[in-house]
Amino acid sequence: MVAALGRWANRKAREYAYGLGFFFQVVRETVFFVPRKQVAFRVLVLQILFTGVESLGIVSLIALSIGAVIIVEGGTILPRFGQTSLMYSILIIVITRELGPILTAFIIIARSGTAIATELGNMVVSHEIEAYISVGINPVSYLVVPRVLGVTISMVALTIYFNFFGLFGSFLVSQLVKPVPFLEYFRALLRALQLRDILSLIVKSFVFGIIVSVVATFQGFKVNVSVTEIPRAAIRAVGQGFVLCFLADALITLIYYV
Amino acid sequence: MSDPGSGELLSLRDVTVTMGGHAALSGVSVSFPEGKSTVIMGPSGSGKSTLLKVAAGLVPPDAGSVRLRGQDVFYLPERKVMELRRTNGFVFQDGALWENKTIFDNLALPLQVHFPEMTRADVEKRVVRSLERMGMEESAALRPAQLSGSERKIASFLRALIAEPTLVFMDEPTLAIDHAVAEKISLTIRELKSRGCTLIAVTHDPQLTSTLADWLVVLEGGRLLEAGSFDAVKRTENSRVRSILAQVLGEISSYDTDLLELLGHGGGAEN
Repeated sequence: MVAALGRWANRKAREYAYGLGFFFQVVRETVFFVPRKQVAFRVLVLQILFTGVESLGIVSLIALSIGAVIIVEGGTILPRFGQTSLMYSILIIVITRELGPILTAFIIIARSGTAIATELGNMVVSHEIEAYISVGINPVSYLVVPRVLGVTISMVALTIYFNFFGLFGSFLVSQLVKPVPFLEYFRALLRALQLRDILSLIVKSFVFGIIVSVVATFQGFKVNVSVTEIPRAAIRAVGQGFVLCFLADALITLIYYV
Repeated sequence: MSDPGSGELLSLRDVTVTMGGHAALSGVSVSFPEGKSTVIMGPSGSGKSTLLKVAAGLVPPDAGSVRLRGQDVFYLPERKVMELRRTNGFVFQDGALWENKTIFDNLALPLQVHFPEMTRADVEKRVVRSLERMGMEESAALRPAQLSGSERKIASFLRALIAEPTLVFMDEPTLAIDHAVAEKISLTIRELKSRGCTLIAVTHDPQLTSTLADWLVVLEGGRLLEAGSFDAVKRTENSRVRSILAQVLGEISSYDTDLLELLGHGGGAEN
């Protein structure tokens, strides 16, 4: 029993050490990405297209829906307590500070996290990674860094986009429930918006982007020899991505209020 | 074991590789002479491909060292690694082509990495010329998934040679391809040999072995059984080695000829 526990602890410690080593190599190669004039620049552009541009539709739809739900719920409940003026602060807190970054992260985990883990896992099994090494290409530099940068840039951009659409969606629905002039609505929103809300949005989306991309690439590379490992890698990329994003969200929110 | 002498290019010392709790290689020490062709043989699962990948610096050993001209290939500075990769080529058993790239891009990427000063036109010229040599110029815009097994093998072969390496590792270069393609590849390998390239190949092909091998390395169960010049191994007293050579080549070839006669036919050692 004790021996089994020891082996488990030993295996876990090695896994974490390997993960940390992977992370530091990603950081190191990211620093050198631009000065080296990488041939991987095209991979970065493709990643931004896939993660960012191709997600615009689903992000728009979800942001509009969330904005609509908040305005309907708030418009129904708040007047009962005579707190209608709180509507704009709630919109900012929920969309800008909380739901915007975390929902965008979920969308990207579901789309790009699984795609990256699956693609890299397939490349490992078909020896494509070894082929990159054989011609002198560092797989972390060529395959991981553009994906990390692409996902992170897309995450920040999509989160900002989510905010615009979420707040715009709430305006559209408010026209159906209780029409408010456009300028008045956005002036009230800007009054409720603080600089640290924007800072929180940027920090969260940046951290989530790093988490989602590093976890997905790490899990993809953990595939060893068999194609049956690939779906498991994709599932782990999603599960760990969700958990780590939630933990990071809680931590950043705590720091925000301290 | 015969000593390759002063022309030793690559040497493995006490190399052990464990994969999934199983020892793929156990304490293997072997040297590869410069400018010669070495064929690695052994039954399936004997560790031939692993040995080739360790020797090429693609798979790090769990123990032991791999030295190229006296330098450990796994502890080279980045600049030296790039030089090593530019001068080495590796032909994978399953092709290992990059599926998300066209055949043109598969061949162009090594050039873009190693010769950043080359213009797009120069890269294109070199790639097209290379494809034309093997009659594959019309496949340049295709993805690997659109090619036949033989065409994939050729593309993989051309990618390994595109930067004009002086040391080429080949894992079953003529396996599972049609006769005409095997002939083309064999011809190119013979040209490489005549140009003085160092070739290290894993193959079950008796004809390729007979025309290629200056040196033989025989493995079984991840252990080195015999290594030395073609003549020396051919005349070994080790019955296990003789049996493995007969068994391995006999399974693949349709020749009834005595194996050792067959190996001697091409006179690889005499070349």
